[in-house]
Amino acid sequence: MSEQELQINPIVQDSVIHNTKTLTNLHSLTASLFGVSAGILGLESYYGFLYYIALSITTSLLFYVFKLAPGSLAEGRSVLDTGRYYKGALELWTSPIFNGLPGFILTWTLFYGLVRA
Amino acid sequence: MAWLSRPLTLVGLVILAHGCYSAYEHTLLASTSVQHPASPSAAALPLDIYIETIVATFLICLGLVLGTGAPEPIQWHTWAGKIEREADKRSSLAGNADKEALGNPYNALEARSGFINIHKLHGDFVKYTQQLSK
Repeated sequence: MSEQELQINPIVQDSVIHNTKTLTNLHSLTASLFGVSAGILGLESYYGFLYYIALSITTSLLFYVFKLAPGSLAEGRSVLDTGRYYKGALELWTSPIFNGLPGFILTWTLFYGLVRA
Repeated sequence: MAWLSRPLTLVGLVILAHGCYSAYEHTLLASTSVQHPASPSAAALPLDIYIETIVATFLICLGLVLGTGAPEPIQWHTWAGKIEREADKRSSLAGNADKEALGNPYNALEARSGFINIHKLHGDFVKYTQQLSK
């Protein structure tokens, strides 16, 4: 976004921080949960990561449907447009995946070891 | 919908714990018992444990999503409009107490004493006293 655009349509930093924090909290919680479930299922190598990525995107989708869609659609935005709450679409869809990855691997290996040992 | 969050998460956790226990018992049994040539390999879990775990994961995930706080709009004009509307609603509910304190973030600017038109106020006052004396 250019400087001029930011001057015309200012952005509330507090809201940006609040939204990012909400999403990060949700994804670190769910990532450990997905690790538990991947460990119980005994997934190995790529399947575990694919499972994590699929479920993480599902979580983002659920978050969109239940939390973002009511306000976003009421404002007249198109479906899956997150401009009301996030600066970019990637902030909702991909960056949480990398935030939760360490937690996922931690609980994945732990539960794999517990169940399969 | 927020009330649904905790029950969903709790139910999901119980189902997940049960799935975990079942998977553990299954692998333990498969590793200790004598392998029957016709039986499926020990590594493969029964289908019901797969379904149970995935359903439990989905339930907890749904519960956690429902339990998260509401996001705030980031555009300044949307956000300011929202808090002003909320202040209106709150002041209509609870008398007209401190509407100025919440609401418009530019209130301090709009009520600046530097912009009072003192001549106009004086003219109004003169008219008022003339009305009174009549």
